[in-house]
Amino acid sequence: MILPINNHKNVIGFRANNNEDKKSLRYNHDTLLPNNFITNTRIGLDKLTNAFTVYPAKGLKGSKNANFYEFLTMGTVPYLVGSATLMAVFNFANKFYDHFDRTQASKIGKKMALGVVFYGLAKSLSKSLITKPVKALTGVDTEQPYAKVIYELPDHINDTDITSIEYHKVFESVEFPRWDLLYGDESKGQKRNFRYDKIAKKLGMGENLNDSDQEVKPRIKEIVVKSNLAKTISSYLWAASGVAFAFQTPWEKYLNNMTFKFWKEKEFKESMSILKESFVKSAKNFYNGEGSGVSKHAGKILLGASLLSSVVGVANTVASGKKPQKTDASKVINKDDNYVVS
Amino acid sequence: MNSNLIQNFITYQSTSANRLNQQKKQEAPKKPKPDFDIQKELNNRTFIKPLDGKGQLIKGSIFNSPAALVKNGIYNAKALKHAIQGNANDHELGKLNDLGLMLGGLGIAGYLFTKRQTPMTKGMEFVGLASFLASMAIWPKIAIQLPAYLIHGVNVHKQYEDSFGRKKPFYQDPQFLPWDLYSDEEIQKIGDRLGVDKNIPNRREFIQEKMKKIATQNNTLWMLTAGFAAPIMSGIICNLSEPYLNKFLDNRQNKEADKILSNIDSYAKKYQTNFITNNLNEVITKHKDQPVTKELEESISEIFTKYMDPLTARNFRADLREKIYGQNTYNVKVENIKEIHENLLKMFKKVRAFDEEFIQAIIPNENQIIELLNSNEQLNKDIDASKFRDITIAIKKLVEKNAVEYNKNNPDKQQDIELVRKLIVKNKADKNSSSIKVILSKAKSNIFDSKAITKLQKLAKIFDDFNAKNQALDEYALKKVGAAPETVIANYWNDVAKTLLKSLGFTSSELEKVHSDTTLISPLLRKKVDNIVANKESFNKLMTTMAKKIAEINDKLKTSDISTPLMTGDYNNTAYDDIVDGLFDSVAKELRNGDLGFERTAKGLVGVDGNDVIGTLKNLQKIYVKDRLLGVKSSFYRIINTLDMFRRISTDVNNQPALQGKYTEVKEELIELCKTITLEGHSSDYATKFYMLRNAHPNTTKAPVEVKNGKVVYHYLNKNIERTDIPGDKYFYQDAMRLMYEGDMHPDTMAILNETNIKQEVLNYRNTVLEKLGGEDYFAKPRHLIRAKNQTGSDVKFLLTGISPLELLHKTGKQVYNTNKWLKIFGGAGAALLGLTVFVQFFLGKMKSPQQKGK
Repeated sequence: MILPINNHKNVIGFRANNNEDKKSLRYNHDTLLPNNFITNTRIGLDKLTNAFTVYPAKGLKGSKNANFYEFLTMGTVPYLVGSATLMAVFNFANKFYDHFDRTQASKIGKKMALGVVFYGLAKSLSKSLITKPVKALTGVDTEQPYAKVIYELPDHINDTDITSIEYHKVFESVEFPRWDLLYGDESKGQKRNFRYDKIAKKLGMGENLNDSDQEVKPRIKEIVVKSNLAKTISSYLWAASGVAFAFQTPWEKYLNNMTFKFWKEKEFKESMSILKESFVKSAKNFYNGEGSGVSKHAGKILLGASLLSSVVGVANTVASGKKPQKTDASKVINKDDNYVVS
Repeated sequence: MNSNLIQNFITYQSTSANRLNQQKKQEAPKKPKPDFDIQKELNNRTFIKPLDGKGQLIKGSIFNSPAALVKNGIYNAKALKHAIQGNANDHELGKLNDLGLMLGGLGIAGYLFTKRQTPMTKGMEFVGLASFLASMAIWPKIAIQLPAYLIHGVNVHKQYEDSFGRKKPFYQDPQFLPWDLYSDEEIQKIGDRLGVDKNIPNRREFIQEKMKKIATQNNTLWMLTAGFAAPIMSGIICNLSEPYLNKFLDNRQNKEADKILSNIDSYAKKYQTNFITNNLNEVITKHKDQPVTKELEESISEIFTKYMDPLTARNFRADLREKIYGQNTYNVKVENIKEIHENLLKMFKKVRAFDEEFIQAIIPNENQIIELLNSNEQLNKDIDASKFRDITIAIKKLVEKNAVEYNKNNPDKQQDIELVRKLIVKNKADKNSSSIKVILSKAKSNIFDSKAITKLQKLAKIFDDFNAKNQALDEYALKKVGAAPETVIANYWNDVAKTLLKSLGFTSSELEKVHSDTTLISPLLRKKVDNIVANKESFNKLMTTMAKKIAEINDKLKTSDISTPLMTGDYNNTAYDDIVDGLFDSVAKELRNGDLGFERTAKGLVGVDGNDVIGTLKNLQKIYVKDRLLGVKSSFYRIINTLDMFRRISTDVNNQPALQGKYTEVKEELIELCKTITLEGHSSDYATKFYMLRNAHPNTTKAPVEVKNGKVVYHYLNKNIERTDIPGDKYFYQDAMRLMYEGDMHPDTMAILNETNIKQEVLNYRNTVLEKLGGEDYFAKPRHLIRAKNQTGSDVKFLLTGISPLELLHKTGKQVYNTNKWLKIFGGAGAALLGLTVFVQFFLGKMKSPQQKGK
């Protein structure tokens, strides 16, 4: 539910006025959240937990309150389960093979598993290569999160727990961005347009504009669309680079000595030092390549394409084709014309 | 991109057609309805209403039609364009994810493609990607959409096109469902299928709720199962498609190889890099008309010998030295004298016994040395290395004379003259030595002149052409018979091995038990073969299958192209031999002829006159192919011979010539030995003339061997008595060889072989084994020969024995077991997942109808 701006502070409570209802929600209205590590981790954990517990339960019951957000959040389930299954597909059966076959199969299997991990890591981390420079260069934080308060239909007559929190991003929809959340709270002494002012300044549209929000909104939209494209394309290319990196031979040494038993200090330390060594050697191997021809340069090409996608992505996002312009209301409705509504 | 209803409205109004329509309406207003109350209408604000939607449900089957795929592709391309321009909408941005996923997938597959060595593994990278993407798309269709439709009559992945032509899943957001797109009739029909009571109030709403519930539940089920399903399905698809891809690539590779042989000259252009010519020209530009230094010689040798084997390279270097650079000459110059002087000082200063004064007194200065060499006519003149000694001696004499003089003048400071002599003639030729010879040898005066250059350029052309053709021939040999995965012969090998395993009737559960060890497979294999050969029908079936499969080799590798004379009996040149002969002989001729005279290299390539039997590069090129073929054919003809021998024993044991006149106990020993050796023997078993624990004092009964239901019944062999090897019994060895390889084959076998093109080869194989292995001498068991002593090399004996059927089945059995095990685990998991997903659907969509609620 999108609350009107002018009464965003009014708490609309559909809950029964039950004093014994001790459940207190973290937010009682849609709230802009800081885009920092702690908040993002908290949001991530919250969504992850819900994706594996509350949302599937609601979905399987066919709850009337199940919604698109929950469906999308549940997308994490196949992503993670699929990763684990993919690892299993390449490793689980190996233990039944005889020694030689097992060794050979495990070599590929372990690299494949490492590839799955690096795919995920590279895919998520590489998005920062777009969002951070875009924020630094334009002032637009395309990842700004906010908490959304949802009022659900009661499941039964005594159901008083009808609110839930969803975590969205201000710009997750380019058609309906949550502009309202970006306005300052004048009662707290904030300037109404202070966020828009900052962006306008960053974008070189000038300072102390009368209506910076109207000026920058079209620009923000464009930035959001372009950065979205850059994020999508580049993250998959980086993910591919991650897999290719995982397939370098030097990793074998680490994979054969890998241990996560940190309480066994000696083994763990050794494993970590081998990890470091394997990482460096694999990186060199990946870049320098082996063999001749395309095979020799495949690593450079893939890495180059990934890097290029990020650089071009940021450049395209930052370079705005449109000149800032204010929509002239007089052009929208021609006063001389007849308008008929039926 | 549309923002809101008002904007839509304005846009709508601006379209001319509607404008006209409106104008018409304005011009001729309809007569108001009699009960029209403007105030009421205004109060109800019904005059502001959304435009009629233009959305529609998408009809069609569960799987997308090609036309729809093209349409989607175009939409995605437009979405990308809009996103680049920065004006894409949410729906378009959503589509970019698919594009990114595909791009990333291609990146991975493309990279791994370059890392894989064989066409099959390369191809599987893309099969893997395609199967993964397909699995992600197919799973929701077959496990969710189809069962839900069949069970409930509801298409839970129904799509609709909104007013702006954007395709969306109908049930994407359960909170916003465009129910108006469904007509009342359609909903009621679905309701009937869902078994909704016809007489309930608000039936349509109830049906809608039920449909929504089923869709929500199914979408959740999809999310919960897809993670397991996609990788497993993808793995299974890859596993199942592998043999087909293999067959396709095998055919393609074989055809490609055939093309190489028939167009060797044009194909060789692929390898015509002119590596030697290009690199040589660089060296020429740098060193033309300069002295021939050791470094120059080294760099030229390196260029030429890069693709040579060490032996040819050694020959070539020797020829190069002799024929191109000729004898070395040296020209000692004043700079060299300076160096000699400095080094002498350095050398003497290292000796503690000599003080500075003594050294200065005895070492001649530069001018003295120059004068000395001048007087001997050794300065600024071309000399050969034999003159080095004269120069050293002359200098030595001068120093010696100075030293003697010094000792004479300084009686209190006598120095060791002998040590002085030794130091001067010190003759170590290493770089760090400061001997006079080392410095002199640097003063080379041969010139890298145009004569040498012309010869080198000619050589470069010869070897560039030779290397290109040779590489083309290597590629042909590798593709056909290379000792590598996925060559024509390797694919054929796997095919035969798998056919044998299948035809012998090894089941999955048997493989599970015995795959780990040959000692476990051995009794099982023996039992299976004994059972099969006991029955004419089963024997014929097995022999026909195997003979036909084995005979495929002569279609894949035509005997006119490459062959193994030991099997075919035809020692004429094949097409491959002709090309190899042509290439090597012509190169050798060019190397020998004219002013080149590279005799050593030519001899290494083709021998003295081109017909040398062994030890030439040409023969190596030919023999590699023949040997590979011999090993493979022997292994498989051995299978035919083994089955045949088992059949002969099963049906006609007492008429076998090798067993005539023997004691029954010895016959039983022979039968047992031959069965074991044919199934399990290695070349070492033949070389040691078969080791067998036997009864040293056999029972002297000469009764026929008992055969019951086609199986030999042992009467003596099972007795628990002490047994030993009898190394002196050469006849036992000879009889065993005869039983295995001599005499007629079984008529059943012959009838089957008559239908194939390998009959003669199998017969030749038996004779060759008898001759080459039977004629092998062995010091520990003398005179164990079936023919006169044979001088065949151990390589041929090894190749003739081939792999034992037991070992072949062990290796193949392991592979098949591994694949089956994987399929069993993940195929089982996949099937269980599918079953569970479908099963769960029977419990979805349960709702109480309004009447039930009221009750």
